[in-house]
Amino acid sequence: MVFQTSPEIGGMGHPIKRKEDLRFLQGKGNYVDDVQLPEMVYGHMVRSPYAHARLKSVNTEKAKQLPGVLAVITGEDLAKSNLAWMPTLFFDKQMVLATGKVLFQAQEVAFVVAEDQYTAADAAELVEVDYEELPVLVDPHKALDPASPILREDREEKSNHIFHWEVGDKAATDKAFEDAAVKAQVHAVFQRCHPAPLETCGCVADFNTATSRLTIYLTSQAPHAHRTLFALVGGIPENNIRVIAPDIGGGFGNKVPIYPGYVCAVVASLTLGRPVKWIETRSENLQSTGFARDYHMTAELAATKDGKIQAMRVKTLADHGAFNAAAQPTKFPAGLFSVCTGAYDYPAAFCEVDGVYTNKAPGGIAYRCSFRVTEAAYLIERAVDVLALELKVDPVELRRKNFIPPEKFPYKSPLGWSYDSGDYDAAMKLALDTVGYDALRKEQQEKRKKGELMGIGISSFVEAVGAGPAHTFDIAGIKMFDSCEIRVHPTGKAMCRMGTKSQGQGHETTYAQIVAQELGIPAADVTVEEGDTDTAPYGLGTYASRSTPVSGAATAMAARKIRDKAKKLAAHLLECSEEDLDWEPGKFFVKGAPSKSKTIQDIAFAAYTNMPAGMEPGLEAVDYYDPPNLTFPFGTYICVVDIDKGTGEVKVRRFVAVDDCGNIINPMIVEGQIHGGLTEGLAIAFMQQIDYDENGNVQGGSFMDYLLPTAVETPNWETGKTCTPSPHHPFGAKGVGESPNVGSPAAFVNAVVDALSHLGVKHIDMPIAPWKVWNILQEKGVVN
Amino acid sequence: MQIEKTFQVKEPIEQVWNLLSDPRRVATCVPGASITEQVDEKTYKGAISVRVGPSTTDYKGQLQIVRLDPENHEIEILGKGQDVRGRGSASMKMTGKLRSLENGGTEVTSVSEVNVVGILAQMGSRVITEVSNIMFGQFTRNFQAQLHQPADAPSAEVKPVSAASVAWAAAKGAFHRDS
Amino acid sequence: MAKKQLIQVKVNGRDREAQVEPRLLLVHFIRSFSGLTGTHVGCDTTHCGACTVLLDGKTVKSCTMFAVQADGCELLTVEGLIKNGKLHPLQEGFKEEHGLQCGFCTPGMLISSYALLNKNANPTEEEIRWGISGNLCRCTGYQNIVKAVQYAAGKMDQGGKDGLPNIA
Repeated sequence: MVFQTSPEIGGMGHPIKRKEDLRFLQGKGNYVDDVQLPEMVYGHMVRSPYAHARLKSVNTEKAKQLPGVLAVITGEDLAKSNLAWMPTLFFDKQMVLATGKVLFQAQEVAFVVAEDQYTAADAAELVEVDYEELPVLVDPHKALDPASPILREDREEKSNHIFHWEVGDKAATDKAFEDAAVKAQVHAVFQRCHPAPLETCGCVADFNTATSRLTIYLTSQAPHAHRTLFALVGGIPENNIRVIAPDIGGGFGNKVPIYPGYVCAVVASLTLGRPVKWIETRSENLQSTGFARDYHMTAELAATKDGKIQAMRVKTLADHGAFNAAAQPTKFPAGLFSVCTGAYDYPAAFCEVDGVYTNKAPGGIAYRCSFRVTEAAYLIERAVDVLALELKVDPVELRRKNFIPPEKFPYKSPLGWSYDSGDYDAAMKLALDTVGYDALRKEQQEKRKKGELMGIGISSFVEAVGAGPAHTFDIAGIKMFDSCEIRVHPTGKAMCRMGTKSQGQGHETTYAQIVAQELGIPAADVTVEEGDTDTAPYGLGTYASRSTPVSGAATAMAARKIRDKAKKLAAHLLECSEEDLDWEPGKFFVKGAPSKSKTIQDIAFAAYTNMPAGMEPGLEAVDYYDPPNLTFPFGTYICVVDIDKGTGEVKVRRFVAVDDCGNIINPMIVEGQIHGGLTEGLAIAFMQQIDYDENGNVQGGSFMDYLLPTAVETPNWETGKTCTPSPHHPFGAKGVGESPNVGSPAAFVNAVVDALSHLGVKHIDMPIAPWKVWNILQEKGVVN
Repeated sequence: MQIEKTFQVKEPIEQVWNLLSDPRRVATCVPGASITEQVDEKTYKGAISVRVGPSTTDYKGQLQIVRLDPENHEIEILGKGQDVRGRGSASMKMTGKLRSLENGGTEVTSVSEVNVVGILAQMGSRVITEVSNIMFGQFTRNFQAQLHQPADAPSAEVKPVSAASVAWAAAKGAFHRDS
Repeated sequence: MAKKQLIQVKVNGRDREAQVEPRLLLVHFIRSFSGLTGTHVGCDTTHCGACTVLLDGKTVKSCTMFAVQADGCELLTVEGLIKNGKLHPLQEGFKEEHGLQCGFCTPGMLISSYALLNKNANPTEEEIRWGISGNLCRCTGYQNIVKAVQYAAGKMDQGGKDGLPNIA
């Protein structure tokens, strides 16, 4: 039951304008590179040009002699303090600065520190490194060949195989396939791409010799986790580390890992006793920081002849690069990939994933992926379309026939997930009506007669967000709860701090709206702060769409604790008992006598000036929220494309996105998130790939080759919503930031394949660049 | 990446062969290259400076005559170099063949396989191909000039390819693809 | 190292001078020497436009210019849009229409839109999209930025001149 607050209070559902905008609009944001400290110096990384080579020697003499250079750190230097390697977020370790060998092009080899950034760059050019090239492994399918080089000499097991993971009932699934009347199979590669937030990664590490405290201004989506890791790895007392994540220019998962540059800057600052700033360039960002995807997947669906899915079987090869630095909960080497059974109701499934090392940059979990849900949703939605082709039925009909019906929730999926709530058909219906599906199919038929190419792509996705319950979810051992602390001042204004960290998601506004909803204090009177580990309560940060489900829940619970105390104060002020009181946002009033009331502002004042005997003064609360389950947002996206037969160019004519994320805090902000995520999905489907040639050279290492859509390529997005609240969330919300990236790639690809399916096309791998389509048209003899 | 080039000279085949089979003299025709010492009968140490746009990469390495066939006028050489500042490497296997022409001149055909590793290679084949084309163009001009000079004349100054011509050609190359 | 040169640049109406290396990028002159950190660096290949400023009335990517090239010129950066504490209609528009999320592209977007509206007071949607096509954004998908510019165009149509540096 969600009370409707007035626009003046601005609780849930109000599209209030963002409170954080003012500083950004005036160019007064405080991003890490804006931080200027007295005596600050600059770091610059020397990187390997080779994908695989022995590191014979690193000669820093010339570099050290350049005037203005203060230090040149090598792997050998770090090794003396046991810092040449650092643990990754997933049971592996990664070189901070190379010793022995290098394992990917652009890997960090030495760190130069100088008085200004130009001198640091000059000095980096003077560092002489002697390499001995080794054979390169870039094809993950060859990783387990006996002929391939073994990359990781530091591991006990001399193999490029990282893990094998499986889940589900293999026997039941195999049987279902044996008995199946119809089978469909698709091999879908989700290409390696990169989130490329507009602000690159960086830090200012400031060790204050006078106080022995280390302050790190950091592009971080998870400041507390980073603080703890720096303490554990660096041996610095955690109370003497302060991580400040100030304004962050986009994260999208890129700012979750700890990168060698951060460690080097910290070491340099500890050594020099001066602040050290390290900001990577865009090329460094694309070539060495956490990439996304690189999943080579085969999915099979078994169905009855009238189209009821009976089972799904999945086999995936995961290319993790040179180190396993995938940032995901520890029990899940393949993240939440096992939600690949999707929105459909069937009894059996089996999924296996094998991870391998290659001579590429480390990473894997990034780019609004929800811990591999993007890969999973893409796979099932492509597989369902391939099944539809096999059955010769409409892809919408096939989906609707197989949707999990609302009465089956909470739904236990065949791979073990408990979906909290869903009404998939409602979202589908709204999408169909909005786009005018039947008319479009008719139009397509007419166009086909004339040889014109038009396609309609559907994607009905299920998301799994809000990690997560302590019994199942932890990152590097830290359980994935989150937190909120609220303090109400005597004059009725409030200040709150959370363990999450916005990188553009509007938390300063949305969290204030939660407080407004729960306490009736106007959102304008609620200040929200995140990112300073000295003051904010411990949390696991913002990624995987977890802020609203976890920290948002903590906010509501903390506010409710305050409301409980407020009720006692109100009873004291109104000289009645608590049972006589009713609440509406902003005030307690006596049942049946509404004029006898006290506003939350009156109560706040009383908390400091007129407490009942025995009551602790003040009006504040903190809540650490351990969610009982994940939440499962969902939606249906429909994409309409037209293909130019002369150039192979795909034009997105329309895109309708119906999302269901339960109860919405700020619809304006949700819509903005959808626009942004769909644009990233568009980029992935049509434009983006980080590729490597056979020598391990990165192709796609700068914006010349790694393409971002501009306003010209990006279509207008039509958004809609249905509302199926989460039954276990304090205010029924689910989280939505990543849904558009989860759901859209399949919609785009399904549309293009649909445009060409009458020519016999069943699947095209992304990115679907014009030349790929043109080649198909050429092959099919229909080029204009 | 494979590059095949053919050009013709007026000089007779034996004279051309004398130049082609002499690594020291041929090296002077390659823009930015020099032979620094002879290790043994078939192996030489050398250096080459390659400029792409504003950045110059200096490679130091080895040149080996893999096969020398005076009867058929064929030579196969293998060159491998590492960037002195550790920013990459390049290797090239080249086969040079001569053929007598009716007018008394000679046709020179070279087939090269080039491999670049490092920052330069990130630009992709479109820049590497253009750089190779320009370098080869300059090579043929130098080669022809050398043919006109007696064997013991002092060699021309070796200058790396100009940055402007490479940048312009690479830009043009981005629009005209013939492969 | 090349000898430093004295340059004089008028930034947001204020005269500034500095001794700079010839190779100092204009964006670094703005950010470090003038302390105006609103102009951002987002790439190293001149694609993203986060560094866009107005130089003598024309939009330039300040990461692809040297500070010495701006000697004697007039610069407008995002900090110069606000006048006497009053937001420019574009700034208002971005707020009203939710045209920003992380804010990193916003200064560049504002300058590009500003130049666009001064050349074309009533652009169509297509003209707006082309007008900001030199500015990349990862968060908004551009749709609300277009609306923000339309909002500002509407406001400026009613409001008249905004007292900012005269541009061609």
